[in-house]
Order: sequence, then C-alpha cells, then structure tokens
Amino acid sequence: MIIVDAQAPDMPIVFVNDAFLRMTGYSRHEVMGRNCRFLQGPDTDVEAVRALAQATGKGKAASLDVLNYRRDGTPFWNALQISPVRAADGQIVYFIGSQVDVTARKAAEAALEAAAEAQARTAQQALADRTALLHEVDHRVKNNLQLITSLLVLQTRRTLDSATRTALESMLSRVSAIATVHRRLFQSHDLERFDVATFVRDLMGDLSSDREDVDIQLEMERVDIAAAQAAPLALAVNELVDNAFKHGLAPGNAGRLTIGVRRLNGHYVIEVCDDGPGLPDSGEFAPGFGLTITNLLAQQLRATLTFESAQPGLRATLKLPADG
Amino acid sequence: MDRLQTPAPRPLSVLIVEDEALLAVELGFLVREAGGVDVGHALDSAGAVAMARQLQPDIALVDVHLADGPTGVEAARQIAEGDGAMVLFMTANVKRLPEDLAGACGVIGKPYSDRAVRRALTFLARCLQDETAPGPPPPGLVLSDQFMARWNVSQLAQAG
Repeated sequence: MIIVDAQAPDMPIVFVNDAFLRMTGYSRHEVMGRNCRFLQGPDTDVEAVRALAQATGKGKAASLDVLNYRRDGTPFWNALQISPVRAADGQIVYFIGSQVDVTARKAAEAALEAAAEAQARTAQQALADRTALLHEVDHRVKNNLQLITSLLVLQTRRTLDSATRTALESMLSRVSAIATVHRRLFQSHDLERFDVATFVRDLMGDLSSDREDVDIQLEMERVDIAAAQAAPLALAVNELVDNAFKHGLAPGNAGRLTIGVRRLNGHYVIEVCDDGPGLPDSGEFAPGFGLTITNLLAQQLRATLTFESAQPGLRATLKLPADG
Repeated sequence: MDRLQTPAPRPLSVLIVEDEALLAVELGFLVREAGGVDVGHALDSAGAVAMARQLQPDIALVDVHLADGPTGVEAARQIAEGDGAMVLFMTANVKRLPEDLAGACGVIGKPYSDRAVRRALTFLARCLQDETAPGPPPPGLVLSDQFMARWNVSQLAQAG
C-alpha cells in the first residue's frame, strides 16, 4: 500500500508499507517523495495509465490490472485499487493505492486463452481436413461411377445379341440413376438431405431427349429425404419411369408421362403415371427383374408400392414415411 | 421441330484431353455419334496444349485431373487464349473450377451420361456455326457467363 499527497506537485509518495517494498524490490528511501510512475515500463499499457489518471483527476476511485516493473526490471501484473481521501471541507488530500501481485492469475488466464485458441484452430483444421477428404472421396466416387458407366456403354456397343443388349442398357440406366444422385448429393449445402424433385428433373432431363414424342409433365413439391435413402429411392423411381417408357409409352406410342412428387399426411408420395394401355386384364404384371428390384427397394425404404389404372394408362405410386 | 429444319452444322473437330483411357475411347464414340470428328487424345497438359496448337480443333474436351496432376485448368486457359480452340470441361470437380471457367465455354459434370454428352456436342456445334444458341443449353451442360453472353443465352434459361 502507498499513500500519495494529492495536493503537492506531481503527487509524491508520502507513505509506503513493507508489503509494497517486498513486492517491488525497492528500498523505502528510493520511493519516498517520488511519483509512482517509476513502476511503469516498456510494456505497460499507456491506455490503462491514462484511464487511471482520468479517474483520479475527477476524484473518483479506480481499480484495474496494470503491468508494472520491479526494481530489477522484471514485470508483474498489479491489481491496483486507488481511492481518494477527502478532508472535512471535501478537498481530496490523499490517494491511497493498494497493490496485489496477480501475475499468476494473469498467466493462468493467458494460458487458458491460448489453449482455447489452439483448440479452435485444431477444430478448424479438423473441419478443413474433413471437408478436403469429403471432396476427395466425392471426386473418386464420381470418377468411378463415370468409369462404370463408360464400361457399360463400351460393352453395349460391342453387343449384337438384342436380349443381352437390353439387359446391359437396363444396367446402364440403373447406374446412371445412381450417378445422377451422386452428381447432386454434394452440390447442396445440406449434405444430409437429398432433394427428390431436383433428382427427378435431372433424370427426366437426361431421358427426355431420346423420347421427344413423349410429353413429360412434372408436378412436384420440394421433398427432402435422408441422403442415405437417395440411391434406393432414385433406383426405384428410375425403374418406374423405365417401365412407363418401355410399356405404357413404348416407342411409336406417343403419349404423356406425368410424375408427381408431394407430401401427404406424414408421407412422401411419388407417382409415375402414363396414358398407355394400362394394367393387363389379369390385373397383375408378369414379375420381371425391374419389378422385383422395385419391390425390394420399396421394402427397404419402408414404402408401399401400388399399381392402378389411371384411366387411361397406369399409375404407379410409391408412398414412403416422411420421418426417415 | 425447328431444329430438324435448319441445315445440319458442319462436323465439329474434337480434341479429347482425358487421362482415363476408357473414358477417352468412349468419348471418341460419342463425338462420332454426335456427328463430330475425333481428331486426337491427350493424356496430360503438355500434350493437350501441343495437340491443340498442331491440330487446331474446334473444341477440346478437358478433364481437370490429368496424367500430370490437376493441370487441366491451366491447360484449358492456354488452349482457349493461345490457340483459340473452344474448351469444354468434363470434370467430377465442378466446384474447384475458377469463376471464369478459365475461358472455357462451359462444363459437363461427371458422372455424365452418354446422352448428355451427345446433346451438348450437338448444341455447341450449332452455337459455333450460327454464333448464337438455338435455345437454352441442354440438361447436363452449364455454360460460362462469357459464352452465355456471346451466344445470347439468358441466365434464366440455364436455371437448374
């Protein structure tokens, strides 16, 4: 603790206790009569000193942490409290300053701050690494899908047997549907969700040029499903569309294909509707491979798959729970 | 169908810059099916730039990752600016392309379909011949701002 004379020029120290001398390393005779600015040093915050002077100038008490220097030049953090002492007439005669060495606390705070910063940097780096890895994997998946697609096309070109060719073309269409999913999957901001309507638009955009005789109508709402469901759903929709093109809208049988995507009572409903010959008289299809895998995919998606007459034509409806 | 009534565009000469041999061969088929001429294949950036200079193709199909690394963008810029050949990117890394597409006319994202490539080539042949687009770009083809302006394609036509 020190006491300074508030009325003498340059506010000299008039009292100093032993604790102050121990803390700062000075002898009593070295500090008595001096202004206490000798405690300041190269890294003392000029703003802090100015704030202190301003407060005392207005006769107010002040407290703040300021970096001071001992006699031997070592710095320490001083939690300084200054209060005015007034005479009976209200005039300030002394200021009392009490000092506490808080270097340890400051160091702990700085260490904590540094640790928090390091942690933030680590987290940021981890995120950047993860993003880079995701891009790399995405890139490889896309390139491999391209390779698979090109292999299937090359094989198809060399295949003369029409049944084999049809099978290869069906496989190509399935791989392309998955490829379309992957082209979109990492484009959105939300990597966890998959936009069904955009997928259908991409799929139909790709197919439509081969069948300009078919009038394609899209009646779609925004429906997002979990990314994990994207491939099975895309495959199922692809089979239904493929079926409509092959049977309901067989080449030479120009017509209309309507695809609906909408939400209904906690479900997502996807309809593929053609205006072709419709269900066979038996009311059931001969179970082909396409229908088999569509049924399996519907089961996997916990969806119901129904076929009914669209009068005229066929309506295939895939209804899946919206919670998935 | 207006498109069927206009005269067929002259054959497009195409340089294929792709380090995956199977993709390059398959692209060659697609170029011919779209009525173009497959003039050559380059596997790396140096080969691409040299072949573009030597063969003077109408268009170079350029992947971003080539045999010598991610050098496709720089090669594309040299081909587009130096030799005047039009460049079309074909890449799985559409997001990594620079804003101006390095002077390329557009990009087809991988994995592409054979249909999308044929349609794009037919569309670009028409654009090159008429110096204006016959309509909006076909699905799968995204044009650069520069070429949209050059061929009078409105921004809206490209949505999706």
